[in-house]
Amino acid sequence: MIANDLLKGTLRTIILKLLADNGRMYGYEITKKVEELSTGKIKLTFGALYPVLHKLEADGHIATEIEYIGKRVRKYYALTETGRSWTAQKVDEFFDFVNTLTYVLKPTPA
Amino acid sequence: MIAAVIDDNYERIKADLVRLGLTYERLMDDLLDHICCMVEENMEEGDDFESSYNMVLDSIGENRLPEIQHQTLLNLDKKFQRMKNFTYIFGLSAAILTIIGSLFKRMHWPGAGIMIVVGLALVVLVFLPLYFITSYREQTERKNPVYPIVGYLTLALLLAGASFKVMHWPGAGMMLNISIGFLLIGFVPLYVVNVFQKSGKERVYLPYIVMLLVGIACVVLISVVNMSKDRLDVYIDGALANEKQVELVEEQTAGLLQLAEDSAHLDQLATITRIHNQVRDMQVMVTGMQEGMIAFVGQSGVTIEEIKGKDNKQAGREAMLEHGEGSAFIMEAKKFAAMLNELVKDPAVRAQITDHLEFTSPVWDYAYNGVANSPLVVNYYMNTDAAKGIALAEYTAIAYLLHP
Repeated sequence: MIANDLLKGTLRTIILKLLADNGRMYGYEITKKVEELSTGKIKLTFGALYPVLHKLEADGHIATEIEYIGKRVRKYYALTETGRSWTAQKVDEFFDFVNTLTYVLKPTPA
Repeated sequence: MIAAVIDDNYERIKADLVRLGLTYERLMDDLLDHICCMVEENMEEGDDFESSYNMVLDSIGENRLPEIQHQTLLNLDKKFQRMKNFTYIFGLSAAILTIIGSLFKRMHWPGAGIMIVVGLALVVLVFLPLYFITSYREQTERKNPVYPIVGYLTLALLLAGASFKVMHWPGAGMMLNISIGFLLIGFVPLYVVNVFQKSGKERVYLPYIVMLLVGIACVVLISVVNMSKDRLDVYIDGALANEKQVELVEEQTAGLLQLAEDSAHLDQLATITRIHNQVRDMQVMVTGMQEGMIAFVGQSGVTIEEIKGKDNKQAGREAMLEHGEGSAFIMEAKKFAAMLNELVKDPAVRAQITDHLEFTSPVWDYAYNGVANSPLVVNYYMNTDAAKGIALAEYTAIAYLLHP
């Protein structure tokens, strides 16, 4: 398991990247995909997921489409045009961050 | 098959979510679908609907849904987000202003006081309230307004006290004391209780408490600690020099008085005598206060040079304010200044006298209020300074009256 406080800042980037790679996805699908990709190390709860999704939607980075499964409303989330370039930028930033951290945390050879 | 069972129970699941506190329609759609998916997954492994559904409901927990909803709505609340950003930017600028002010103060450049006071006022009046309000609104569980209120009062009084102290305004010590009281009997116990309630869930921020306490201890120490010996000695030297000068001036004044009595200046004699009597009354008051101070530290008959307890801070308060004639003395001195002002017509001489009696001006009232928190020698020095001013003013006035 990866600690929640480590995950906090990267959650948004993870969601954006998933949407960039997989096109439209619904909430449950996102949590499953994260679990699968992280081989169970990251468990994304819906409590963490939906506040972020709604915020991204309000900021215009993602848009929703609605489909009915029986009586259920299923909301698919997908990146908008602005969201797409923003995602690329966020992912770059993240790798920058990881590289920097690797330098900082790597044990120095004696 | 599974989808059909879930469809049949759809209304019931929705009702349950409403019962658990979910009201925001757009989030409802998401969570309904999500929960249905979770139930479906369990059912695919062979469980029936009831046990699958109950398992999912159990995993959600009592307060989770309102919490998620609260978080979502706050995320969407543009005004709230703007307020949060504003709070941080504002806090940062106010802090920077204060720090620059402190730097100016260290370098003795002008404008330091204003910067520090404005910076800290902005922190106390704008940043801290906003900060406590926003962080309180973001909280979802165990919302207790007592915590931010006590926190605010503690920090606000502490910072206000510090800025008052820097400006040497009256009331600084009192504010610092109250804030430390708040801290010890309010903030820290509340914080510890809060931490223990949350323990396991959140990290314990004990190191922060320790740091905070150490910071407070430093503030207390600085305000209580004795003035350095060198500085105390500077005041003593100043006081002795003043006393010496008073003696010299009084000798010369005595000469003038003799002259007045001997010569044909009889018409002025009554006025001059009035001035001299007033001066003598005031000198008696000053001497009384100085002796009172020395007596307070238990060494009557000892001169200021040999005194122990030069840094005693109660001495001045006792001997000048509480059981002394400090306020009466200032009143008399003000009357004296007004009297000379009326008698002396020459503006140049009048300016000289005003200069000697500067300690009666409104600006100096602040200094006099500072008596309560000043070390003995500083108060003693202030008295000799006043005595010198009076002696010089007397001499100047009498000399003017004899030879206008």
